[in-house]
Amino acid sequence: MSDIAVSVQNLRKAFGSQVVLDDVSFEVPCGQTFALLGRNGVGKTTMIRALLGLLPCDSGVLRVAGCDPATDPIELRRRVGYLAEDQSMYDWMTATELCRFLEPFYPKWNSRLADQYLDRFEIPRQTRIERLSKGQTVKLGLAVALAHAPEVAILDDPALGLDPVSRKEFNRDLVEHLQAEGRTVIYSSHLLDEVEAVADVVAILDRGRIIRQGPTESLRAEIQRMVLPHEIVRRTSAPAGLLDARRHGENWEVIVDGAPRFLEELAASGHAAKATDMTLDDIFEACVIGRPQAWASA
Amino acid sequence: MFVHIERGSSIPISRQIAEQLRSQCLSGTLVAGEKLPSVRELAQQLAVNVNTVFRIYERLAAEGLIELRHGDGTYVSPRRTESRSELSAQRDKFSLEFDALIQRGVMLGFTDAELRALLTSALATARKSQQ
Repeated sequence: MSDIAVSVQNLRKAFGSQVVLDDVSFEVPCGQTFALLGRNGVGKTTMIRALLGLLPCDSGVLRVAGCDPATDPIELRRRVGYLAEDQSMYDWMTATELCRFLEPFYPKWNSRLADQYLDRFEIPRQTRIERLSKGQTVKLGLAVALAHAPEVAILDDPALGLDPVSRKEFNRDLVEHLQAEGRTVIYSSHLLDEVEAVADVVAILDRGRIIRQGPTESLRAEIQRMVLPHEIVRRTSAPAGLLDARRHGENWEVIVDGAPRFLEELAASGHAAKATDMTLDDIFEACVIGRPQAWASA
Repeated sequence: MFVHIERGSSIPISRQIAEQLRSQCLSGTLVAGEKLPSVRELAQQLAVNVNTVFRIYERLAAEGLIELRHGDGTYVSPRRTESRSELSAQRDKFSLEFDALIQRGVMLGFTDAELRALLTSALATARKSQQ
């Protein structure tokens, strides 16, 4: 058993003529919390459905918890805990009935564990699911996803529609019951500030590809903003990692991926510049809609 | 033990936590010999990645501020004579940051009265959350 929990190689998926995923590759080692970030509609849910074998792909190789979703989806679903954004729960069931219903599908289902989670999350047992609040529904989803002790948990924008208090609680639950237990977690989100605190690694999906991936701390260390005088911009060639360049009068505000190295190069050629930290939101924006073109015409 | 995290800040979360713990150790707010939450407890409390908390504790231990006693827990180290000058260095750094912040406020057009009001309100909030 390798220590890679999830492996995606050259995944491609198109809906008719619309290519949603185009040559996507990444690996998630066992025990890592991996966050898939991207704007709404970019293909995060498509990616997750592909991982679970809910969607056939045009090409590429996938391995999730040792299974190929194309050939082995049943075994895969037994090993993976899944919490969907829009989980069509059986609204007319109670929590107790849902657990009883799900148990036969999972050889590793632990009803004592299910009970513990339901207690822990304070889910009323005898209330119909349609009567539960959104926050309670998410917790119930998490409880049943955890009750069969999965090695890997795949969560599709789990905090969507939750109020800030519930979101914080959800993050706590993720840290305590998934991360601290050494499980591998893949989750998609569009809320970067929430993701930063919890994820080990983030991957930005944009226009069908993973355009940037890495631990959040190194992302922050590498992608930084700096102000440069026009004279410097004019006589320096644009750095390879230039993400955004805007001119304001005699100065340029630029965002560079690989900022520390670029600053060293500038210093070596005689110009001392300073970079400032950016919020993860701004980093994301620069990666996805940054405009570096203006530098070339300086 | 009180740690306040500002999400969506340009300061990375790990740095925020590390600086607060460091300041509290140096200033004596965290008393020598006091037991800190376990890595797991703190991660859960703050809703922060377990590895992040672990790395912070390791860093603070390397700085001599806390000790990780195997099988027992994490404790605040006894204050060393150097820690007074470290505290003073931290305070100097704070003053510089404060100056830079006020400069920015002035450039943004805040009046003196507005800046003072911001200070008063921030101070009130900080003292209140200390209790």
